[in-house]
Amino acid sequence: MFLSLAIVAQIIVAVLLIIALMVGNAVVMVYMERKVAGFIQRRPGPYEVGPYGTLQAICDSMKLLAKQLYRPGNVDLILYYLAPILAFFPVLLLYLPIPFGPYLTALPVGDGVILILAFAGLGVLSNLLAGWSSNNKYSLLGAARAVSQTVAYEIPMILALLAVVFLSGSTDLKVVTDQQGPWPWQWNIVLQPLAFFIYLVSLVGETNRAPFDLPEAESELAAGFHTEYSGMGFALFFLSEYANMLLVSFVAAVFFLGGYKGPIADGFWWIFIKAYALMFFMVWIRWTFPRVRFDQLLNINWKWLLPLGLFNLWLTAAVIKVAF
Amino acid sequence: MLKEIWDNLKGLYSLGVGMAITGRYLLSPVETIHYPRQVVADEIMESFRGPIQLTFGPKDPAQSRCISCQMCVKACPGHCLTVTKGETKSPVVWLYDFSYCCLCGACVETCPASALEFSHKVYLVAKSRAELSMDLLADLKSRALKKAESVKSELPGSAPTTQNLAAPGPKDSPVKAEATKTPLANSDPEPKAPTEARPPKKAAKADPLPSDATIESRPKNGSDQ
Repeated sequence: MFLSLAIVAQIIVAVLLIIALMVGNAVVMVYMERKVAGFIQRRPGPYEVGPYGTLQAICDSMKLLAKQLYRPGNVDLILYYLAPILAFFPVLLLYLPIPFGPYLTALPVGDGVILILAFAGLGVLSNLLAGWSSNNKYSLLGAARAVSQTVAYEIPMILALLAVVFLSGSTDLKVVTDQQGPWPWQWNIVLQPLAFFIYLVSLVGETNRAPFDLPEAESELAAGFHTEYSGMGFALFFLSEYANMLLVSFVAAVFFLGGYKGPIADGFWWIFIKAYALMFFMVWIRWTFPRVRFDQLLNINWKWLLPLGLFNLWLTAAVIKVAF
Repeated sequence: MLKEIWDNLKGLYSLGVGMAITGRYLLSPVETIHYPRQVVADEIMESFRGPIQLTFGPKDPAQSRCISCQMCVKACPGHCLTVTKGETKSPVVWLYDFSYCCLCGACVETCPASALEFSHKVYLVAKSRAELSMDLLADLKSRALKKAESVKSELPGSAPTTQNLAAPGPKDSPVKAEATKTPLANSDPEPKAPTEARPPKKAAKADPLPSDATIESRPKNGSDQ
């Protein structure tokens, strides 16, 4: 592959923009999360810092930056410091193939969805490393849960995406987007409602969000795998969690909701609107449902999502075979 | 098998119902109060059991009903009361150390003369322990003074003393409490005795507009330290 200077420069600029997006996204999401939580519980949420509390998240991140990095005794030093970095950096790679606009893709890769699904697995590894190296039983339990949960929920997620890949005949995110129209009835969600539902459920499970937040269940495991992390170590996990949420929302927007296409004018604004609507949906879910038990969590996955995903895939294949 | 599927579908429907409930709550107005800018109405504060205070006397509101029988002093589990009898039955020293008080109300229960009651001071703040030891006689005097003033301003034609006699104690008509904005439960801003050190209450009612002035004026207490 010919790697010209232009492509390198493009990737560097893209990665910088992606880092800015990740940090900005975390700030926005912290504010949104707390505000939505407040309104659902009929209280105002953050209010004092800045107009309507908008600067609260920035103050919190300043606090995290200035905080002492406390390291407990008997930790596995290399793994302990590697884990937050490993949680943060693969996410940068995952944003590269996403088409934000007709010409706005950081790195047009032919098999974008495969790249995303392959490197999303590194997030589990970082959780496992963090839990293992912390020398803390809560962390270890959280890590064990994180691994079994994330590995399980990856499968229906892939099955749901695969059904759309069958439809469009390509693993290129740009091609998948181009085959959908600007209006909602031209999106893949109309053709694949079951796949969208499966993706929606496994998206919550994959990002370890409530009600599937067992790896960091506060009431059971202190903070799960990141119990022993403070300051920027914690902040990196936090950033990568919100970045992962945004990523799966972007993927859902591309695969099911028409990506950057929309009424009036195509552009990155449409994919952002769609992704943040999904993020809002996830926050809404979090503040509505109680946490499931671990066996329930795995039962939902293995007994429902996986058979449904397989059925949906078979149905899609059969319809394509018969119709075309 | 079919029943299980049906149960799961019903469960799925119930998830939708839950989402609808939280969605409705999300859009409905908040029910809490922005404390420094808004305060709860004083009528609601009547049910709050704050630090104890002396009730107004039957004839002169500034004269306590206390007969210095020492029942409350004996009843107090925290030993926070000091009552000294004077020449007559009425006390000359009535000290109350709120830092030892557990707000059990034993003193209020035992008092044979109904001279004690709970105040409704929600916004009591203190920077030191000394501020929490209060002279209740001075407090009673200042409250009586305040009450007389507020009655005078309320009804300029009638005699204030008769009004005081008609309504002893802090239970006053809510109309008056609303109009004067200085309910009797509030202590006055300028302390009378050197031992008395109590932060003044925020007298302002709920202010819909956020204003920093109310925040500033809250715990100003220049008497001690």
